[in-house]
Amino acid sequence: MNKRILAALLLATVPAFAGADSQWVLQQSTLTYHVSHPLHQTEGVSHAAKGKGVCHAGQCDFLIAVPVKSFDSGDSNRDLHMLQVTRGAEFPLVTVRTRLPESAAASATINADLEIQFAGQTEQYKQVPFKVDTQGGETHITGTIPATLTDFKIDPPSLLTMPVKNDIPVRVDMTWHQQ
Amino acid sequence: MLRKVFRNRQSGVPGLVFLVCLSVAIAPSLMAQTAGMGTLTGRAIDASGNAVANATVTATGIDNGQVRTATTGTDGSYKVEGLPPGNYRLKFEASGLKTLEVPSTAVDGTEIALPDEKLEAGETIPAKPTPAQQDNLPNAPSSSKTEPTLADLGLSPEQTQGNAREQALLDKRTHMLKIHQRMGLITTGPLIATVIASMGAGGKSTSTASRDLHVALGSLTGDLYGITAYYAIRAPRIPGTKKRGPIKFHEAMAWIHGPGMILTPILGAIAFNQKSNGEKVHGIASAHGPVAIVTAGAFGAALLSVSVKF
Repeated sequence: MNKRILAALLLATVPAFAGADSQWVLQQSTLTYHVSHPLHQTEGVSHAAKGKGVCHAGQCDFLIAVPVKSFDSGDSNRDLHMLQVTRGAEFPLVTVRTRLPESAAASATINADLEIQFAGQTEQYKQVPFKVDTQGGETHITGTIPATLTDFKIDPPSLLTMPVKNDIPVRVDMTWHQQ
Repeated sequence: MLRKVFRNRQSGVPGLVFLVCLSVAIAPSLMAQTAGMGTLTGRAIDASGNAVANATVTATGIDNGQVRTATTGTDGSYKVEGLPPGNYRLKFEASGLKTLEVPSTAVDGTEIALPDEKLEAGETIPAKPTPAQQDNLPNAPSSSKTEPTLADLGLSPEQTQGNAREQALLDKRTHMLKIHQRMGLITTGPLIATVIASMGAGGKSTSTASRDLHVALGSLTGDLYGITAYYAIRAPRIPGTKKRGPIKFHEAMAWIHGPGMILTPILGAIAFNQKSNGEKVHGIASAHGPVAIVTAGAFGAALLSVSVKF
């Protein structure tokens, strides 16, 4: 009888341990898009990304969102034009979703499958490499997302009738804190 | 003909009238850019069949991403114009009624009358998921119960909700500024030609033909400049935008070349009449050249400020 009670108690505690999820919170971030034009090389920077990761059963689901309006290229006219071509008023957020194993924080590099929603389109990027540096409870992640305008059906903005290049790589520099 | 026109420019005002007339003559060619666009018309009604007034109808291009909006009238009717051919998603929004979405409506270059759209009372009808949203990546978190949501990120409703009206405003702004940019580039040609032609228009040994050429080119420049300026001035402002970067210099230059483009032809007309009467250019008319040079310089600086990164 005592053995049965003990077994029942043990079984009851298992879900409690399984539900002991950890979470990650995005502390700092710098996202930089790069646009190439025959007359210009332009970068737009945002520090306004917000992100959260929830881990369960060894897997972590991450969601990062950044307002399109928050990207600053140093020229308000250009930023408004970018906002227009990316339909940033209608679709105000860029969201990135990914799932990584909990052990990824201990790796020097990770290859992440990203699902990005931007300009009303959803695009998937497979095996995007990121460098990982974990110190204490903080993990620093850097990498570049090889985005293009056609991925999101964005008409290339033009200056003096010359359109920009299709590639708009986005540099990612994020610091995550584990809770 | 031109000589006659400019000989009568003693007050300067008839010359300006001439420039305005030329503007009116050229403007329709720009307006023709809207040709070939389609129009959607229809009516929004409630469950009882009554007209729904002041509903916002938003047409979003599935292929081209363009957004056009219209508001229903008191009879519930709407007309969404200026739609490039393609497929459009339609959204009907009205206070106190469910938002209704029509997933796809084809638009060609004609006016298409749609059946009445019935808006029901109550909560918003969610949009049908797009094929992309239904896709499941091998490692996508969609099946996970722990998946974080936007609500977890503490974003404000302003940051998460789309604003079709603001998008329409941005679209209009970009459209007008594109024309402004093109017209500015086109204006540069006759502007340079006018400056070159001025070499043979002044001085003692100049011919009447040289002056006529200078006047003709100057008039064309002023006309094109007027159209260029119109599209910049009339482009909608986006509320809450603080101006930063080269655009500030670009706009500051406009305060120089704008008045200069008005003053230069007036002074030029006076100088033209003085020369035509066999007089030496004198008085205020002698400022025509310097004012024109400053104006052309400011115009060039404005163009360069938004073209080349310094």
